[in-house]
Amino acid sequence: MHEENVAPARPLRRDRSETLLAYAEALARVAASGGGAQALAAHLAAAIDAAVLVEDAQWRHLAVAGTGERATPPSVRDLLPKDADGDEAVPLATPADSHARAFPIRAGEARLGWISVFPTGSRILEDRAGLIRLTAAQIAVELSRDAGGGRGRRRGFWDRLLARAYEDPLEAKEDAQARGIALAPGYVAVAVEGDGLDETVAAQKNAEIRRVCLDTLGTRTGDVVVVERGGGFFFLVPAPLEVDAANARTAATLIPRGVQRSGLDVKIVGGVGRHAEMLHVAQSVDEAREAMIIARRMFGGGRVMPYDDLGVYPLLHRTGATREDWRAFATRVLDPLRAYDEKHQTELVRTLKLFFDVGQNIKEAAALLNVHRHTVFYRLRQIGEIGRLDLDSPHDQLTVRAALAVDALDG
Amino acid sequence: MLTTVKDAAAARRAVLATVKERKVRWVRLAFVDVLGIQKSVSIPANELEDAFNGKVTFDGGSIDGFVRGEEIDMVLRPDPATFVVLPWVEHDQVEARILCDIAMPDGTPFEGCSRTTLKRVLEDAGDVLQAVQAALEIEFYLYELAPDGTPTTRTTDAGSYFDFSANDRGQEARLDMSGALEAMGIPISSAHHEHGAGQHELDLAASGVLTMADRLLTVRGVVRRIAQRHGLHATFMPKPLEESAGSGLHIYFALGDIDEAVRLHAIAGLLEHAPGFTAICNPTVNSYKRLVAAWDAPVYTVWSHRSANALVRVPQAFGDEPPLLEVRSPDASSNPYLAMAVLVEALADGIRTRSLPGDPFTGSTYELGDRYRAEHGIRQLPKSLRQAIAALDEDVVIRGALGDHIYHAFRDAKLAEYERYRKAVHPWEREAYLRTF
Repeated sequence: MHEENVAPARPLRRDRSETLLAYAEALARVAASGGGAQALAAHLAAAIDAAVLVEDAQWRHLAVAGTGERATPPSVRDLLPKDADGDEAVPLATPADSHARAFPIRAGEARLGWISVFPTGSRILEDRAGLIRLTAAQIAVELSRDAGGGRGRRRGFWDRLLARAYEDPLEAKEDAQARGIALAPGYVAVAVEGDGLDETVAAQKNAEIRRVCLDTLGTRTGDVVVVERGGGFFFLVPAPLEVDAANARTAATLIPRGVQRSGLDVKIVGGVGRHAEMLHVAQSVDEAREAMIIARRMFGGGRVMPYDDLGVYPLLHRTGATREDWRAFATRVLDPLRAYDEKHQTELVRTLKLFFDVGQNIKEAAALLNVHRHTVFYRLRQIGEIGRLDLDSPHDQLTVRAALAVDALDG
Repeated sequence: MLTTVKDAAAARRAVLATVKERKVRWVRLAFVDVLGIQKSVSIPANELEDAFNGKVTFDGGSIDGFVRGEEIDMVLRPDPATFVVLPWVEHDQVEARILCDIAMPDGTPFEGCSRTTLKRVLEDAGDVLQAVQAALEIEFYLYELAPDGTPTTRTTDAGSYFDFSANDRGQEARLDMSGALEAMGIPISSAHHEHGAGQHELDLAASGVLTMADRLLTVRGVVRRIAQRHGLHATFMPKPLEESAGSGLHIYFALGDIDEAVRLHAIAGLLEHAPGFTAICNPTVNSYKRLVAAWDAPVYTVWSHRSANALVRVPQAFGDEPPLLEVRSPDASSNPYLAMAVLVEALADGIRTRSLPGDPFTGSTYELGDRYRAEHGIRQLPKSLRQAIAALDEDVVIRGALGDHIYHAFRDAKLAEYERYRKAVHPWEREAYLRTF
């Protein structure tokens, strides 16, 4: 046994079998005291002098412990080898920490989650691996017990819904009813994460973020569903009508202000999916996640952005966008302007096209359109209002130019 | 508290000094009934001090919506801040006017006093609205008088929106009105011709909400009086002629330096309570002839940045100024104090409940289909006074703002008015049916 791996308060240091036995007894006492996964993780962290992260199969945080000297990533979801399965520990792909390992939490054939350890010193020794396995087994017992309770049963419904396991809305409704869940006809998904969270306080900050989000998203149309995934949150906001969806979007964009007002020193990033019928809420969740990624990468984070406001970026981000996807995008951007032109005999689309064709030169556009340059300004303002675009923004300019290009290429 | 008492005493002394300096002979103690009709009692100027001390009473049983059927003395409590020397002198006697709150004989505020009600609502809203101000656009028609002095609906003015006509008698009257109001300490930010022939608009610069309600009361009186001097009749009737634009009262609210989210909550409060406050803001059967899909009158609970027929418009702000919220449905037949009270309550309730208003609307609301309205939670404003009273009955927030006394007194008066209207046989009916059946 290497002394550098032994913390002063470490409970057991005799021969291996005695160590395991004593640890198992202590673990059972912790479990019996009702502390749940968090207490078990804390017990393990103290025993092996490592940071410990416990996540369930949907990448929800179940516990974080021992982070005083070691940081944990928000999730190990993207750090696991692609083929990670079975009962063995797997190394995590963290260049800065070659000793980090994830151990499966199993109940029978089912994998209920992962317990990941980030040692303070060198590699995890064999006897320590035994302690981790024992802890994983105890957490599996806890999770299985939870799944049998009301909370677990309700969570099970949302997991199934988000996994697109229901094909028939009636089946989903009946299942929800059986689990005591009142479903709304439609939902809007909101994804939120704290950006660059200091891992030592991540759990506490996340609890605050969750509280602020629920406070901001609180709705008269029903209970907001919270799904924790990979260090962040998804909120499913009930939206029976389009106006509820619009209000959910607006409320979501106000979350960073709420976080700021509450004095939380956290930068928030998030995304809002489109309004989806109950059965297709997973689609809204995917869009929310995508919007969050784009908000972070293209807009520098610090905001919660609706998918609908991202213009061309979702298509550029998505691999395998089809020609139809691009056509639908161009239609979405240009159709309101076309409808206005048709109804009012105006030339908004032509003006827009010419404006970009001449490199956004108002004078040249005015000359080509045979109008005064003030008229071009007026039309551009109209275009902005009707299309809900900010033509001074390079992001919106890109969106419009892409839509015009798709339109032109389609003839 | 001591400061307030000292301030009040100083304000009274200043008023009494002005009375002396300007040789005021009579002071009109003015107040409104529950319908917003101005009432007044004239007292010799040398009795004003007694009035300040609560010694002027009147029979509350003779005023609409007060305590009809009972003989009860009520006390007038003049507010020195509203004292103004009238800019015209008749019979060589200088006259002043001061607005009053109404109290019970024991000095407690009278629950049926509209002005006191507005003060209470503003105080209650102080938790969420600290610096609210209001500005007004007041529309009215100027018509010719018949040889016998009765008003007609004729006008020689053929002008339209913003038209300029140097020889227009209406324009001369409007200039005189603006001058008189300025002389009374009411700043006019603009005055112009409106859409309808003979229709005009006066715009009042922003001030505190109570002050603005006081000013609206004054404007209604001054406009009518100056029109009379020009041989014209001024009317704030919401829809005098079917084929012409109606006259509205657009109320702008400046909520001060608040978070954008709070502004959205306030807008949502207005939309949420619009059906409930319509009876108060549009209190006559004629009001509902204006609230139709024409002449940019609002008919749906919609907000917009530019749409001229949205109920709430949030026009683009100038420079760094915070945006204003324009409520476009009210008309000037409303009781200014009650109209302001219910609108402030709606704003405050939206903020307290952190409601959201949906997305802003672009275009003309008149083209909204049923399905779109249902999906976007857009409701139609009441189409008649009867519907408006029913909506008021259902809105506990607005009823709470009015208080039980005013709610019941107003409701009773308006139901009676609606019944009279319902029973009356209108010329249109004779035209349509007399020969047909």
